[in-house]
Amino acid sequence: MDREIVERVARIAHLDLTEEELEKYGGDLSEILEYFQMLDEIPGDDAVGFNPITVADVLREDVPSVEIDPDELLKDMRTYERYVRGPRLS
Amino acid sequence: MTSLKRLNEIYEMYTSFTEDAPSGKFVFSAKDNLTSKDFESCAGSRILKGYRPPFDATPIRKMREAGGFLQGKTNMDEFGFGTFSANSGFGIPKNPYDLNRSCGGSSGGAACAAAVLEDHVALGVSTGGSIVCPASFCGVYGIAPSYGRVSRYGLIDYANSLDKVGVLSSKAEDLGRYLRIIAGKDEHDPTSCVQPEMPEKDRMAKSVAVPREAVEGISKDVMEHFERSLETLRSMGIDVEYVDMPILKYAMPAYYVIAASEASTNLARFCGMRYGQQDGDLSLGFDAYFTSFRSQYFGDEAKRRILLGTFTRMVGYADRYYNKALRVRESIIKDYKRVFADHDAVVTPTMPFVSPRFDDIANMSALDIYKADFLTIPPNLTGMPHMSVPCGYSDGMPVGLMFTSDHWNEDILLSAAVEWEKGFDRIAPEVKG
Amino acid sequence: MKIGLEIHVQLPTKTKMFCSCPTEGDEQPNSRVCPTCLGLPGSKPSLNKRAVELGLTIAKVLGCTIPERTWFSRKTYFYPDLCKHFQTTQYDMPIGERGVYRLGNKDIRITRVHLEEDPGKTKRVGDNTALVDYNRSGIPLVEIVTEPDISSPAEARQFLSELLVTIRNAIDLPADGDRSVRCDCNISVGKERCEVKNVTGLKNVENCLKYEAVRQTKTLKAGGKIERETRRYDEERKVTLPARKKEYEADYGYIGEPDLGIYNIGEIAASIKIRESPIEMAARFTSQYGLDSGKAKQIVTTSLDLAALFEEIAGETDVATAVTWTTGVIAANWKSFDISRKDEILPIVKDLFEGRIKDTECGIRLKALMTGKSVDSLSQAAGDLDKIIDGLVDANAHVVEDYRKNPKAANMIIGMVMKETKGAYSSSEIVEAVTRCIEKRL
Repeated sequence: MDREIVERVARIAHLDLTEEELEKYGGDLSEILEYFQMLDEIPGDDAVGFNPITVADVLREDVPSVEIDPDELLKDMRTYERYVRGPRLS
Repeated sequence: MTSLKRLNEIYEMYTSFTEDAPSGKFVFSAKDNLTSKDFESCAGSRILKGYRPPFDATPIRKMREAGGFLQGKTNMDEFGFGTFSANSGFGIPKNPYDLNRSCGGSSGGAACAAAVLEDHVALGVSTGGSIVCPASFCGVYGIAPSYGRVSRYGLIDYANSLDKVGVLSSKAEDLGRYLRIIAGKDEHDPTSCVQPEMPEKDRMAKSVAVPREAVEGISKDVMEHFERSLETLRSMGIDVEYVDMPILKYAMPAYYVIAASEASTNLARFCGMRYGQQDGDLSLGFDAYFTSFRSQYFGDEAKRRILLGTFTRMVGYADRYYNKALRVRESIIKDYKRVFADHDAVVTPTMPFVSPRFDDIANMSALDIYKADFLTIPPNLTGMPHMSVPCGYSDGMPVGLMFTSDHWNEDILLSAAVEWEKGFDRIAPEVKG
Repeated sequence: MKIGLEIHVQLPTKTKMFCSCPTEGDEQPNSRVCPTCLGLPGSKPSLNKRAVELGLTIAKVLGCTIPERTWFSRKTYFYPDLCKHFQTTQYDMPIGERGVYRLGNKDIRITRVHLEEDPGKTKRVGDNTALVDYNRSGIPLVEIVTEPDISSPAEARQFLSELLVTIRNAIDLPADGDRSVRCDCNISVGKERCEVKNVTGLKNVENCLKYEAVRQTKTLKAGGKIERETRRYDEERKVTLPARKKEYEADYGYIGEPDLGIYNIGEIAASIKIRESPIEMAARFTSQYGLDSGKAKQIVTTSLDLAALFEEIAGETDVATAVTWTTGVIAANWKSFDISRKDEILPIVKDLFEGRIKDTECGIRLKALMTGKSVDSLSQAAGDLDKIIDGLVDANAHVVEDYRKNPKAANMIIGMVMKETKGAYSSSEIVEAVTRCIEKRL
């Protein structure tokens, strides 16, 4: 994994890496991915599932319910007049 | 009796706890990635410092409803990323048999508590081996049930298709008792809603398989105990047969690709807003603001896995890594099913070595550490229930034996644990005070 | 010019897409939120069945191919309104693909229809920091993506407005403000296209496309090059502007959503009955009953109940009788009619059809039923009106021949009657009576 890709991946992931970290993670990831190349050796199954067991057709009825008071949820958040405060948008 | 405070100073098994235990209740602990109303829940990460969840995780709620008292939250690798619990943002739990060694990970604090505290049951979480590894290193019983058996509502996600909540205890019978309490469908977690009920009576294993591939690269002392354990199983009237499962070697890369891909999306939400650390300078642009928190508070291994997982699902690479890993997982599941057609369980050592010393761990590369999970990963990748039982001591350090059964067949493991315990003398650690 | 649209419509469910929070009610910021739609650590999603049904209904109305299985994916990007920093959406297996929408005489191809969750809503304060309201977070959306088959901004608006009528008819979508349509608009005048993101409402879509078409044409004429880029629409200044250049590259890195699993939607889709859209119904009236398209449209756009009544009368009498009376007296008095009495209409028309009464009496009885006026007063008035008309037609005998060639010829008589009666009769009454009086002479 060359340095340019590590930098790009870090940007996408919103991580600011020091020179030292870029060097370290670049090396680690190269070693790891080289080992992972063994995945190329086998075709894998035709079926693709996102869970190791079949999780199918679990649906919820459209009936409203409130378990936790929203005020309780906002309690530890940074808020202004019930809005959640966030960083500058542009 | 030594106070809990003093014990925690020595072993660092808890990130937060309370000393007042009411009578008439059984005492349990929960891994710090299970949310609970009365303790901070940080999943071992400094980025979540200060987070007090407004709800109890379903397994914790069920334990409380069954008469349990939550004593504290156990220390762990940050978000479950680790094999030795050395990646916690809040100190490192110590092995009760040797304070210079790891108690395993990532449910290290849970295994340590189960080994050190009397009459204690610990809820742990396994993604790639995080229950059986520390159970093995700390010489306790630990079970990770089938994927989907226990609700994950309130579990701070590592990898959603791999995470499983389970039980650790110094007593075999506790595994079944408490697993039955926390198991069951929960409308808050759709993946828990497809499970069949656990049978009321545990079935006994008659035949177990040992994959030849799983006994390569095992340290000499662990191998000696393993072979002796197989003899014990035979003496219990269980057939032991060696089988070939060459596909198992692909489990490790497939697991790390899926786990890191999912983890990198799960960790995207931690950004200095809404909960945990959030005292940043809002006048920064949002990209810079989020980046500053993530860079400052995520630990080394969390960053490594975020980078790995962001890469393995990126356009141009996803087919080679993420999508391929999903298909490899399917192939490995099918291979397990082939073996389970003739055998009730698969048996291997839990870890390839006894707990290493912290100074040796410091010299291991990331890949070396990932490779150390090669025995615990296959059942975790495939969502199979698996369990570690103590099977001996090498120079005083516990060795673990791992059983894996087919999806939903936890009962076969539970009966094996109880039977095993009848013929095994556990040597409790000498608790320092 | 090629235009393709990505249309987002909020689905009218009672609860959010992945949690049981109500979608309506308390309008205070962050008053309809829970751990799931706030993305709190440990929360899990749970899919709303109704959202799936509504999405599938739309996919079916648009003639999409519906797969046997579907699932959700995570689209990862960082923005303060997106609490998990991934949007739960559909990527590689949407609920519908390859549909088509008939717009006039033209087909607009539908690329795909998929379900996804709405993010929260951000508001800027003076210093440009964000204030976020997560009430909208998790509201179910259907996204409809078209091929670039639209050829002008006006056509885009026409398409959207008819599409919304179709969707409203199919799923009882409320026609209100905030729950309005949001579009990403792709437009190319030359070879390269630009995307204008997140344009709200029909008028803005048309204006933004107009601006963008002019901008691209001017650029090309001046020898410039259109850069493929994402732009945004400034509603106040009515201009499109380049979106902020991103220092932080987006790579959504889609993965499957393991918290939800898969859905075998074939069966649900098969059980969904699609209501015929007004446009389809009008087309059917033309082919099934031989109605000219103007009359067919008149019936269905007056009211779907009227259309149903038309079919009922046509079945019990004949098509000609049904057309004459539903487009005539019945349509003319429909607005003020107490619809609960609609079953009383058919017996009157049947009396006529089976020869028990004459045209005039039929008209008077229908009018009496529908307006609540007495038969006597109506007879008197109708008699007077018919007399006036007959006199005028007698005096202008060529009108009957002219009418045979072009029904618009009746307008002359209508104008004369209106002038003479000075508002004593409604225009629809006069139109009906004149048409009837001329037709009986044919």
